[in-house]
Amino acid sequence: MSSDSSCLSFSDEEVQNPNIHSIDHSLDAIEDQLSSIAFNSSIDEETPSVANNHHEPVTNGSNNEIQTEMRRNSFGESNNNASVADDIQEHRNNSSSGGELLDSVQSQRVPGKRHIHEDDASMSWRERKKHFFVLSNSGKPILSRYGDEHKLAGFSATLQAIVSFVEDGGDHIKLVRARKHQVVFLVKKPIYLVCISCTEEPYESLRGQLELLYGQIILILTKSVNKCFEKNSKFDMTPLLGGTDLVLSSLFHSFSWNPATFLHAYTCLPLPYATRQIAGAVLQDVAESGVLFAMLMCKYKVVSLVGAQKAVLHPDDILLLANFVMSSESLRTSESFSPICLPRYNPMAFLLAYIYYFDNDTYLVLLTSSSDSFFHLKDCRILIEKVLAKSNVLSEVQRSLSEGGMRVENLPSYPSTRSESLLHLNESRPATVPQDRLHESVSSIGGPAGLWHFIYRNMSLDQYVSSEFSSPITTHRQQKRLYRAYQKLYASMHDQGTGPHKTQFKKDDDYVLLCWVTQDFELYAAFDPLANKGLAIRICNRVCQWVKDVENEIFLVAGTPFTW
Amino acid sequence: MASRRRMLLKVIILGDSGVGKTSLMNQYVNRKFSNQYKATIGADFLTKEVQFQDRLFTMQIWDTAGQERFQSLGVAFYRGADCCVLVYDVNVMKSFESLGNWREEFLIQASPSDPENFPFVVLGNKVDVDGGNGRVVSKKKAKAWCASKGNIPYYETSAKEGTNVEAAFQCIATNALKNEPEEETYFPETIDVTGEGRQHRSSGCEC
Repeated sequence: MSSDSSCLSFSDEEVQNPNIHSIDHSLDAIEDQLSSIAFNSSIDEETPSVANNHHEPVTNGSNNEIQTEMRRNSFGESNNNASVADDIQEHRNNSSSGGELLDSVQSQRVPGKRHIHEDDASMSWRERKKHFFVLSNSGKPILSRYGDEHKLAGFSATLQAIVSFVEDGGDHIKLVRARKHQVVFLVKKPIYLVCISCTEEPYESLRGQLELLYGQIILILTKSVNKCFEKNSKFDMTPLLGGTDLVLSSLFHSFSWNPATFLHAYTCLPLPYATRQIAGAVLQDVAESGVLFAMLMCKYKVVSLVGAQKAVLHPDDILLLANFVMSSESLRTSESFSPICLPRYNPMAFLLAYIYYFDNDTYLVLLTSSSDSFFHLKDCRILIEKVLAKSNVLSEVQRSLSEGGMRVENLPSYPSTRSESLLHLNESRPATVPQDRLHESVSSIGGPAGLWHFIYRNMSLDQYVSSEFSSPITTHRQQKRLYRAYQKLYASMHDQGTGPHKTQFKKDDDYVLLCWVTQDFELYAAFDPLANKGLAIRICNRVCQWVKDVENEIFLVAGTPFTW
Repeated sequence: MASRRRMLLKVIILGDSGVGKTSLMNQYVNRKFSNQYKATIGADFLTKEVQFQDRLFTMQIWDTAGQERFQSLGVAFYRGADCCVLVYDVNVMKSFESLGNWREEFLIQASPSDPENFPFVVLGNKVDVDGGNGRVVSKKKAKAWCASKGNIPYYETSAKEGTNVEAAFQCIATNALKNEPEEETYFPETIDVTGEGRQHRSSGCEC
């Protein structure tokens, strides 16, 4: 990272809404909302690169199905008794009240699969804002985020028929738009993944989420599962995913709070440089004794990680692994040795993971390819635990967890007279004050010039840092809305048709959003909707300066043993 | 233990257009019949939960269109089927003569692992029409054909009156279940990182 900061400045031509790369052909209706998908109009490719593959509208259908109350899904042309889509109310997404921060938000969620008695005939099922389905290429359901997979067998068959119909024309289906709904397909033969959403998230984001869902399944099963289908096309994969409801529901949930899911970068727990060095050094020792990857994690954040030789851990693998470990209750209670596949490292085969929780939040993952190394890894863990305890790393981790990281209220003014340590800043606050009380005591809302929140992504390190949520972004609903706004911003900045873009200044009812993308970093900042543009730009420069000043504490930087 | 889990059976219904495939399915699933003919376009899918031999399973019924113009989707639709139901109209000779073609076509497109023993069921539908006076395919003839194709079970049905529909589908379920493959242990490989790169061997290593 170069020390001279490039400055963000806007000439008067600002990029407002740079992409809005819309799909103007839309499937007129997913008839009767989701239960009966009928082909009425044309499907269009999302990516213009596949230009010559337009589907002609199929319009000679004149029949409507026999009306029955039973689950009936049809595939084919049919008259479309429109209307339904608009009747669906968006009322889900109940945010609970209170000024809770991210961590507490996660604890409010009831984990595991819910609403298992629903099917595509239930109104409640149809009203869900975001569905995920996994099915085999024979149309047999594998999993559904909501509802009973077996009762959704007809629906699964319909999805398979749609995929097949398009493939029969020598094409690939990616997206169907039906009014407020987007139906996004990801074909990973012999497995099909489908998301149906009315959340207005960009296509790229939804597709990215399907990729992660596929990755999570691969993490649990490896791609060898494909061989089962080759051997027997009737193969039912569902039993192999038994007991993973919590893992998958936790992943679905992370799509609405964890920026790592769209940034494809990981984040570190803020720690004094020396503390992280100690952790890195002991992990390095272990890695030299036959461990492929050694990771010390605190919840979804990295404390330190080390890879043997030239082995590189992809941020998506870190995300999926952390999700797996965090959501598998049984891993918390004892040391475990479990087969795990890292889809970005090698999707074909298992590694073995030794997993051990030092406390409620902090855990160690040692990955190896040797299935008889449990006792060796256990010894490694004992060694690591000793070092971490002796040098107070674990207590530092707990302290950081309770104090939080960068706060917009603490953004220094430059030239700064303050200490350049982030942790020192937080130390000056009484650590015991609950977060919400702390916000009340801040007289002005947010940071200087109406800065509410930011995310900074360091490109060369594949890491990001996100400021703590503070007033007025305090409720789950507000945080999710901001998350979605960032997600949209990210997609528009990286749009393949019109992008990539360097800067974007966007104002709407909720926020002023500022995004700045360079070779070295990306900055996403949210301000009060009344924020002054010039001032906001100056603040962004200060944020970048601040991040650089404290980068040794918020990032796992070069110089630690894990280098790319 | 594995046998306790819920099973899903994919059942494909094939036959010339107008023989009553959709009506049979509707009679079975919904106990309803409509005299009005509406051609199926593409395919219709119905599901029915069935308690059978102390097990709960779901029938995923693929009611395909009889028209030629939808046949190109065969491979995709037939893949992974657990049972195939061939339907003809006892009052239309041509629909009976087509059975052979439908069967061949299915076996080619679905390419099941053991085509000899793949479960089929043949249904001679519309036995109620004209009190059976318009009938052109005799029971004997149909049974002989079924016997020649490896003893395919045969039922004479009336989707309109519901005759034999339940029994026919019971048989479909039985046959589909009989064909259930042995559960195999899922055992993927473990990465071997000894050599360079990533080879896939099941042996461990010390790296």
